[in-house]
Amino acid sequence: MTAQEIRLCGLLLQEHFGEMVEKVGTHLLRSGAQNLRTIVQETNLSVDLVKKCLCVLVQHGACCFTSGRKGPGSPTEYRACCDRILRVLRYPRYIYTAKTLYGDTGELIIEELLQRGHMTMSSTVKTVADRLTQNMEEGHSMDYSEVSSTFSKLVETHFLQRCPPVGGAGTSGSAAPAAATSAAAAAPAAAVSVAPPTPESFPECYSVPHLSLIGRGKRQLVPENGEDQRNAKRAKMDTETHGDEGIYWQVNFERFHQHFRDQAIISAVANKLDQTSSEIVRTILRMSEVTTSATAACTKPLSANEIFRSLPASYNIPRHILDQYLTLLVDDPMEFVGKTGESGGGMFVVNLHRALANLARATIESIVQERFGSRSARIFRLLLRKRHLEQKQVEDFAMIPAKEAKDMLYTLLSHNLVQLQEIPKTPDFAPSRTFYLYTVNQLPTARMLLQNCYKTVANLIERRLFETKENKRLLEKSQRIEAILASLQASGAEPEQLSEVEEMISAPEKQQLDVLKLHVNKLDSAENQVDETVFVLESYVSSTSTS
Amino acid sequence: MAEVKVKKETNLSEPAEIENRIKELCQQFPQGITDQVIQNDLPHLEPQQRAMALNKLLSLGQLDLLRNSSGLLYRLKDTQSASKMKGSDNQEKLVYQIIEDAGNKGIWSRDIRFKSNLPLTEINKILKNLESKKLIKAVKSVAASKKKVYMLYNLQPDRTVTGGAWYSDQDFESEFVEVLNQQCFKFLQSKAEAARDGKQSPMVQRNSSFATSHEVWKYICELGISKVDLSMDDIETILNTLIYDGKVEMTVIAAKEGTVGSVDGQMKLYRGVNAILQPTGLVKTPCGLCPVFHDCHEGGEISPSSCIYMSEWLDF
Repeated sequence: MTAQEIRLCGLLLQEHFGEMVEKVGTHLLRSGAQNLRTIVQETNLSVDLVKKCLCVLVQHGACCFTSGRKGPGSPTEYRACCDRILRVLRYPRYIYTAKTLYGDTGELIIEELLQRGHMTMSSTVKTVADRLTQNMEEGHSMDYSEVSSTFSKLVETHFLQRCPPVGGAGTSGSAAPAAATSAAAAAPAAAVSVAPPTPESFPECYSVPHLSLIGRGKRQLVPENGEDQRNAKRAKMDTETHGDEGIYWQVNFERFHQHFRDQAIISAVANKLDQTSSEIVRTILRMSEVTTSATAACTKPLSANEIFRSLPASYNIPRHILDQYLTLLVDDPMEFVGKTGESGGGMFVVNLHRALANLARATIESIVQERFGSRSARIFRLLLRKRHLEQKQVEDFAMIPAKEAKDMLYTLLSHNLVQLQEIPKTPDFAPSRTFYLYTVNQLPTARMLLQNCYKTVANLIERRLFETKENKRLLEKSQRIEAILASLQASGAEPEQLSEVEEMISAPEKQQLDVLKLHVNKLDSAENQVDETVFVLESYVSSTSTS
Repeated sequence: MAEVKVKKETNLSEPAEIENRIKELCQQFPQGITDQVIQNDLPHLEPQQRAMALNKLLSLGQLDLLRNSSGLLYRLKDTQSASKMKGSDNQEKLVYQIIEDAGNKGIWSRDIRFKSNLPLTEINKILKNLESKKLIKAVKSVAASKKKVYMLYNLQPDRTVTGGAWYSDQDFESEFVEVLNQQCFKFLQSKAEAARDGKQSPMVQRNSSFATSHEVWKYICELGISKVDLSMDDIETILNTLIYDGKVEMTVIAAKEGTVGSVDGQMKLYRGVNAILQPTGLVKTPCGLCPVFHDCHEGGEISPSSCIYMSEWLDF
């Protein structure tokens, strides 16, 4: 929970959930586990407000509660998870992935679940069907069964999972301490364990319940603004039951991360070797999707025969060519694929941790290259390969004149990308009698750059908020005019009235609005791009902590 | 028999004859003669006379005194070099010998002082003297540009002193290195592309995209962009810099002794590769390249809201 991470979490919470939640959330992040009374005192908010904020955080899995430190009788403590809040940054990527894999239906299911945190299958299906029907032509509507089948497919491939039943699934709504303590009493086993159980420790994690859900999506009429809000509230309190009460679903972020990691490995192989090799790696990864755990160092071994059988039909390469490709993949210095045995024509695995380390190394090298130039990048790569080198040796190996090499090394040193190791010849570290060796450590450098990424994203978000705040007046004006236009059009006005209203925005103002839109889009897409770097570095750091 | 008699008669009388005899013995044994050999040849010679004769020859500079595991050796000095040293005193001879011993690496003036135990002023005078006689020369070292090493006049300085092919007059030729760098890379890249366009089986493709260091060396020599003769080691250092640039990878394979370009039964193969990753997302934002990244805080003088780099980037 570094300062940069807390700052970024605060900004994300504020944007997505509001100021109150942000206050409570950042307070919890800064102070660790606390009980309700302490939170109320230190944030100076009313008890009800704090309770509601905690509800929101628990609903989205950003906060978990455990029984107090002093034993089963003490008040429950709440702890916020920094990682979970940072995932909010990645929501667009999750939704886009679901769209590419499962089409519009999948996209909307994931979007609904991300917005609501936990939802039952029936309510998800109904909401998604309604939304899809909204966008279809008149007279068509979406059948519930189609949406249900997409939902089941998502569960089969483990993109969705059941929420772990912490003391009765009905508590997904309220996180009031009373329910928690009764749950603690009812399930002593759960209270004893220190860490909250992972969703995957429950055997029914991925089983789709039997639903009695028949019907089609309902198209909403175009109501007035006030009525719309009332309708939305009414939909939440729908009392029809469909046989899956208490079974709540959430998005399985780990699975999405595995998917992103696989994509990164496949594209790296495609860049380094060729398309066919990347297809082979894609096949291997696809076959090990559900059999490999998230933290495994390698996929399960697959024989060449199995790979040959599972290759996509469009790539009908003969068997001996496949063997050659596999040998080439194994011999490649990047070591993406390894051979673990000879049975079945050769057993092959994908070395996940090594691939992540290589990707992280390439990321760090590209950052150094873009920031300091290609000669500094040469020195950096040289130090990565040769570990410890003296100043003179660096100059000789990199073939850079002494003065410039010195300059570059000192710049890298001042930015902490390169470290100095002293090896004394005498017990007093006299400068003339010590060896000074330059070295690069990949893991600490990756951590440092990760923090830089968090700071960058926070800067981008702040700049975006600043830009919108600057032009608030203009935005409000344009919104008012659009509302007026919409109402005029609905009540059937003449073109002159419409043009009159449109002219209320002058041309320079329109231009300013366009520029603002451009800026905001640019900042948004930049956030997503930096998030890609964050993903690679985060996966690398977490892979080294488990191995 | 007559010869021996004559010698016997003359030996006892004149020191000059003793010296001549010793010199003849030295000529007979070019590696050098020990005391024992002289004694065997001139059994009637008293040790004192022998010592006198030897000393005279040494001081005249006609004999070299050496030591080996069994004792002292006397060797006839080359008359040419003997004439060079005429007129110079012992100290100069000592210094000259030290410099000669240093071979083609040369020796620093401070090291000469240590070895000869002479004071600095004397050393400097002697060195100037020798330089004017054109017996030694001073060569500037590339390692420390103020340091001068001395070596014999007609010797070629060693690579470590002059820096080899990459230095011309103590200046590192970076443009030359850059040009070589690019040429090697182009050669390897075109070879890799040709292999890829060949559309053969992947194994053959990969193997044909490799080039041995010998092939690259031949290509560079034929290109003729280098005025200096480059050895295979030089080319390998250039190829290593390409590896550190991430553009080339290297493997070592076992090769039969005697195949062209193999060193100790191994051959190094180089091949052009593509990067595995596009430039990463962080560097596409101004913050990733910002020089004042660490001074930037919300509410400070440098902050995201007022960042000029961001404004420029957004208007781009």
